[in-house]
Amino acid sequence: MKSLNLQSMAKCATARVVRLWILGLAVAGALTTLPAATPAAAHGERSQQAFLRMRTLNWYDVKWSKTELNVNDEMELTGKVHVFSGWPQAVARPGESFLNVGEPGPVLIRKSAFVGEVPVPRTFSMDVGKDYEYKIVLKARRQGRYHVHVQINVKDGGPIVGPGQWITIKGDMKDFTNPVTLLEGSTIDLETYGITWTYIYHFFWMAAAAAWILYWFMTKGIIVRYWQVKAGKGRELIGQSEKRIGAITLAAVLLAVLVFYAAANREFPRTLPMQAGLLTGISPIDEPRSTVAVQFKGGSYTVPGRELRIRAKVTNNGKEPIRLGEFTAAGLRFLNPEVFTTRPDFPDYLLADRGLSVSDPNPIAPGETRDLEVIVQDARFDIERLSDLAYDTDSQFGGLLFFFSPSGERQRAEIGGPVIPKFQAGATL
Amino acid sequence: MSASTESGLPAGKTWKSKEEFLGCVILTDWILLVILFAVLLGSFHIHYMLLAGDWDFWIDFKDRRMWPTVTPIVAMCFAAASQSFFWTRFRLPIGATTVVLALLIGEWINRYDNFWGWTFFPINLVFPSALIPMGFWLDIVLMISGSWLVTALLGGLGWGLLFYPINWPVLAQYHQATEIDGVLLTLADLIGFNYVRTGTPEYIRMVERGTLRTFGKDVVPVAAFFSGFISMLVYFLWWNVGKWFSTTKYLEIEEV
Repeated sequence: MKSLNLQSMAKCATARVVRLWILGLAVAGALTTLPAATPAAAHGERSQQAFLRMRTLNWYDVKWSKTELNVNDEMELTGKVHVFSGWPQAVARPGESFLNVGEPGPVLIRKSAFVGEVPVPRTFSMDVGKDYEYKIVLKARRQGRYHVHVQINVKDGGPIVGPGQWITIKGDMKDFTNPVTLLEGSTIDLETYGITWTYIYHFFWMAAAAAWILYWFMTKGIIVRYWQVKAGKGRELIGQSEKRIGAITLAAVLLAVLVFYAAANREFPRTLPMQAGLLTGISPIDEPRSTVAVQFKGGSYTVPGRELRIRAKVTNNGKEPIRLGEFTAAGLRFLNPEVFTTRPDFPDYLLADRGLSVSDPNPIAPGETRDLEVIVQDARFDIERLSDLAYDTDSQFGGLLFFFSPSGERQRAEIGGPVIPKFQAGATL
Repeated sequence: MSASTESGLPAGKTWKSKEEFLGCVILTDWILLVILFAVLLGSFHIHYMLLAGDWDFWIDFKDRRMWPTVTPIVAMCFAAASQSFFWTRFRLPIGATTVVLALLIGEWINRYDNFWGWTFFPINLVFPSALIPMGFWLDIVLMISGSWLVTALLGGLGWGLLFYPINWPVLAQYHQATEIDGVLLTLADLIGFNYVRTGTPEYIRMVERGTLRTFGKDVVPVAAFFSGFISMLVYFLWWNVGKWFSTTKYLEIEEV
């Protein structure tokens, strides 16, 4: 048996070996740190299961106030969200939720966020079956073109991503400022606040640690110490003088800790603990009850044709005739071209402006109940991977139907239920 | 560096001169130091990121209860193991200081390159916890006492107690109060709110959650004592883990 020991290692330690080591480390360092990373263009929203996206939060009326900004410009991301009544069992209910933004790093900062009239810098609670209005004020920070989504994170449920829009930011991040006024009255730039001192403090201690390590390393190194310890002379290595050096160093370290601590307390006499806690009691949208009642009667999904067929019994309890104009699910909008004669302003990848039709296009008269077959068909259904519904453990779809009256009044109705997949064109259920 | 043959080992016949022998020893020492430092940096960094994780990543996770409890405990593991190695094999009082310096260097590279350089999080959101004075404390207690038992008890307790005061000089400025839309926040909360983290919602912060409310607002001392107590136990365990791995037998080459 042959063993590796320190003596044989020492024999190998030639200057050439050391040069190779240094070169190797430099190459490894360069390879791991220098290449620029490509900015992320999407946030995995399509990878979320279809039933989860369709039956948790239904986003509608989403608007981005601007799509082109300069650094330091502000924009608003607004909209409404319906918390689906048939919330899936597999996902925790939104008792603890956080209004968030899906973007590749803080390229826009969130200056404020509201649900209804309530500011929500913290976690809040939502009720199933209700609708909420939200507003997020964003400030452009980094130049580039980014996909920006609204998103609500649900505790134990994960992030539920809403529609996204491409936002272009011009300028330079080095010009970005984030002024914040403290309660005591002064204004600071939070973008850079305290960073220099943080570097100084950390690198001071790191330099002290490096000096301590090098001091002991330079006195007798490693190998000689090892030999001495092995020869039973370990106690000779740490004598009274070494202990004295240690005691003095420790005293200096503790004194420095005390001085820094006292200085911080003197400079910042009024500090608070971090604030946290659930915001409850946020009111949902206060709207008159919908005058349209929709009852799901069954459905199917033809996988090759990307076609969702929904059978529904629709009752119009209003005073005007109504027509089905839109079906929305998972942020996608499928429009009936007979109702939407102009294309609304909405991200193209989510807008199927000819994606909805009904078996009977005639308006439903007030007081009338009619059986309708709603046909949702568009490639976006597949591109956004909603067709994966056929492969989910809970193959129930969900979404919102929007009905419109001649006067322009909009009525909203939730719909959802199990659909039977058809894997071949022409197959019967 | 002073290297000599005072250990009693002769230069032997392998080397042409005493100077060449000493040069080889010094060179090997440096190679060992660099390798040891890199290994400790990598392994401790992984350990610490997995166990301290968000508490160390983000300023708005650095609360008065969970952060000063969890962070010293998980940091103690490698400090104790490293001390076991450096002290029992080399009588070097640098074990704890070396690992915390290695960790801090690794963390700063990570925070600067990844968090700031790649994803643009400002440094005041992502700076790591300061640990180095705790390393000094542990090393010097071991050096003066010469006893791992005393180091476990006294060093472990001090390790937990020192953590918050060491970090306060940087943290205090971020605990000044401000308000946003009528909601009271500290600057630490506001930084976390302003600079969007898509995958880090507010509710996963564990800010002073728990049932220990007896000491009113004096949360930190209770957390620090508890952390120190657990650090003692962790020290005992990880000193022996360090001892277990302080051997070259895993490097032996057997002819099979």
